[in-house]
Amino acid sequence: MTLLELNSLVKAAVSGALPDLYWVIAEIAELKLNQKGHCYMDLVEKEDNRTIAQMKATVWAYEYRTLSRKFETSAKTPLKQGIKALLQVAVNFHEVYGLSLNIKDIDPAYTVGETELRKKEIVERLRKEGIIDLNRGISLPLVPQRIAIISSPTAAGYGDFTEHLEKNPYGYKFYHTIFPALMQGEDSEKSVLAAFDAIEKQKDNFDVAALIRGGGSAADLGCFDNYAIAARIARFSLPVITGIGHEKDDTISDIVAHTKMKTPTAVAEFLISGVGGFAERISALEGSVGLYAARLLSDSSNVLNLLTRRFTLLAAHVFTVPQGRLDELGNRLSAGLKQFFQIKTGRLAAAEQAVRLLDPAKVLERGYSITRYKGKALKDSSIVPNGAIIITELYKGRLGSIVSGQGGTDGKTEGA
Amino acid sequence: MVKPKELSYGSALAELEEIVGGMESEAVDVDALAERVARASFLIRFCKERLKGAEDEVKKIVLEIG
Repeated sequence: MTLLELNSLVKAAVSGALPDLYWVIAEIAELKLNQKGHCYMDLVEKEDNRTIAQMKATVWAYEYRTLSRKFETSAKTPLKQGIKALLQVAVNFHEVYGLSLNIKDIDPAYTVGETELRKKEIVERLRKEGIIDLNRGISLPLVPQRIAIISSPTAAGYGDFTEHLEKNPYGYKFYHTIFPALMQGEDSEKSVLAAFDAIEKQKDNFDVAALIRGGGSAADLGCFDNYAIAARIARFSLPVITGIGHEKDDTISDIVAHTKMKTPTAVAEFLISGVGGFAERISALEGSVGLYAARLLSDSSNVLNLLTRRFTLLAAHVFTVPQGRLDELGNRLSAGLKQFFQIKTGRLAAAEQAVRLLDPAKVLERGYSITRYKGKALKDSSIVPNGAIIITELYKGRLGSIVSGQGGTDGKTEGA
Repeated sequence: MVKPKELSYGSALAELEEIVGGMESEAVDVDALAERVARASFLIRFCKERLKGAEDEVKKIVLEIG
């Protein structure tokens, strides 16, 4: 008997013994497409990580296109290595290629359930390890202005995100740096973890990390349901904001992230509103400074009087300043106050104006002076004995004088 | 005076709140008032400029004041 004759017998025996289509649960250990579009898989069954059964399988090109699309739409993951699936197969024996399964149909519902189960297990593990809430426990920065982005740089989601940030209508400046990563496929875990490591090394340069999905296959969220990535997010030292852009249930990355937004654009909005919140606090304080300063200045028993008293004394004793000039000073202060009240448009300018008006150097420049006795500015004539030497400071230079009498605030001088 | 390096959004905000709190509750001497308003103005400018990314502008202000 020739080998071909033997193999023909085997083929007949196999097709005789296993004539039907069978539903089989198996894990896809390897999946390859050849140039013609035929799909070749290695199917395995494992027990405690040990392979206890293995078989080659094929999907012919014309069936693969339909099957893979149907599967991906329902299961939200493409057919790929590592997933468990319920497959309808015919058992074939080929004289040259040996025994293999020809896949006729795939039931996505099984994989959906399987994926959900695995997600639950991961969530449970993160909870048991006590890290599931860690990232959420970090306080958001006062101003989330420096963003470390993990995404694929060529992806639409990344473009939307940065454009939205940069075109914010308030003119806030955002500093963003991309840490490129593969967001799907076999290498995504390694790639995303490496991006997180790179950010961690320079975490002082950033306020938050944004995990933005790069687009591509709308269905492949596997990388976001990965334990190692979720654990990294949970333990990350900066708040992580996710914008994975999917409508279905949250991924595990969303669950452990500090804040989960639906889309990259929503993440940008979130950050802009964070900066806006701070800007509003500053504006409110600015308003308060203006109002309190105005109130303090306008309080007649306070500043204006104090200044007036101070200058009246000086006027009475050292120089003869016409009352009109005091009025002028008062008017100028009033003008300053008015400006304080115009807080709608120029609170800051008004404040600065008031500051300028109150600057002693400016007051001196206008012809007023300060008189000192024993180095202290004089506010009360009664503390200066006759014969004391007082120093008067002018805008330019100083004068020394000997006191020959004191007066009250009415301007009349007593004594000599 | 806080060195420019040490001035952050957090410290600026805290100082501003302290200034406003002080103005609210204390009787403030005129000289102290001018000083506080000037400092508050500086802090507000620091924050606003920095929010808009005008770092050079901020540095200039710091040089003027510091």
